[in-house]
Amino acid sequence: MSSLVSWILVGVGQALVIIGIFCDLAASIMMLRLPNFFARLHALTVGSVGGAFIPLIGAALIAAGCDFLGPYRWFMAGGAVVTAIIEYVLAGAGTHAIARAVYRAKAAPLKPIVADKLAEDRGGEER
Amino acid sequence: MLRDVAFAVTLVVFIVLLAVATGLGGLGPLPPPRLRPLAVNVLNTTYNPYYAARNFTADAPEAVTAVVWDYRGLDTVFETAVFYGAIIGALALYREVSKRVEESRPRGLSTIVKVSTAVMVVAIAAVGVSTAMHGQLTPGGGFQAGSIIAVAPVVLLVVFSKSFLEKAGVRYAKMVALRSAALVGIGLAALAVAIAAGAMGCWGYVLQNQPKPDAPLGYPPRALDVPSGGSLMVFNVLEMLAVAAGFTVVFLVLSTSEKLAKEEVVGEEHGY
Repeated sequence: MSSLVSWILVGVGQALVIIGIFCDLAASIMMLRLPNFFARLHALTVGSVGGAFIPLIGAALIAAGCDFLGPYRWFMAGGAVVTAIIEYVLAGAGTHAIARAVYRAKAAPLKPIVADKLAEDRGGEER
Repeated sequence: MLRDVAFAVTLVVFIVLLAVATGLGGLGPLPPPRLRPLAVNVLNTTYNPYYAARNFTADAPEAVTAVVWDYRGLDTVFETAVFYGAIIGALALYREVSKRVEESRPRGLSTIVKVSTAVMVVAIAAVGVSTAMHGQLTPGGGFQAGSIIAVAPVVLLVVFSKSFLEKAGVRYAKMVALRSAALVGIGLAALAVAIAAGAMGCWGYVLQNQPKPDAPLGYPPRALDVPSGGSLMVFNVLEMLAVAAGFTVVFLVLSTSEKLAKEEVVGEEHGY
């Protein structure tokens, strides 16, 4: 029974790691190909949430499923989960801080652009 | 395009050359894989409750911390004093500015960043304290813990503001007092066994941790059933306080606004 649970944990964990690999690959391609700074920030977040948070959860599940590690697997799983939570909290906040600073300092061109809700809220000023 | 290719080729050639040179023995003769006598001695005595009636042991599973605060404890005490003096040097440069309070009230970064930072600051402090408290069990110790904790005020300075930190109680005078108190504590902890032995009329050493054959007093080897390394835990916690407060006060002083700093040196261009 416990071996079945372990197999499921390892399988799900490996699936999450594969998702992470895909996200990292997609993020690196997007980082090169997207047109402007704010669009490339999206690639940054895909890489840090999809490409780091998800595989870290996967690593935690794999570690939890590895019976041969003995009690040490819980140290590894716990470390991975804590790192994942920190990554999840800080990735969004960091990207937000960068985007806000660049937008307010007008440091990056806003072209091509679909919508600028911030400018619309302030009365539709163009820049 | 040509530049990229040239860059890639250069990188590959460099790595291959480095690998060949290393593989052919470019690092010189490698050290033998067996332990040297000094390391064997340290490993035999660092945590050994059974060895020769506990005559020479630091009672700490972490050999590095045991060496730093027990085997060569006097050296580390002086290192702490040097760090203390170095920070005094930095503070002396800002001695007039550091006593004044900023009038401007910067708003800091946005709410999203502030909330996530508030969560992380608690985590940073927890990691720092546990690094110090587990210094005798796992890698790390007082200095590392203090450096980790000192990250928290830096992040708070950037994300919130200096006046926020000062309102929260992280002030110049408090931090200077805290690090001085921690240094005095390290000195007292170093002398504690010798003083107690003198009062009880037996032999004792400065910086003594565990009892020795001719000096029966020592720090308790366990705290809550976990090896505490005797004095190592005390030293680590005090060193953490000294280093964290020292770095914090330097960061506080360095973040003084240019306006305030210029007011203090006004008139220097006229030579007075």
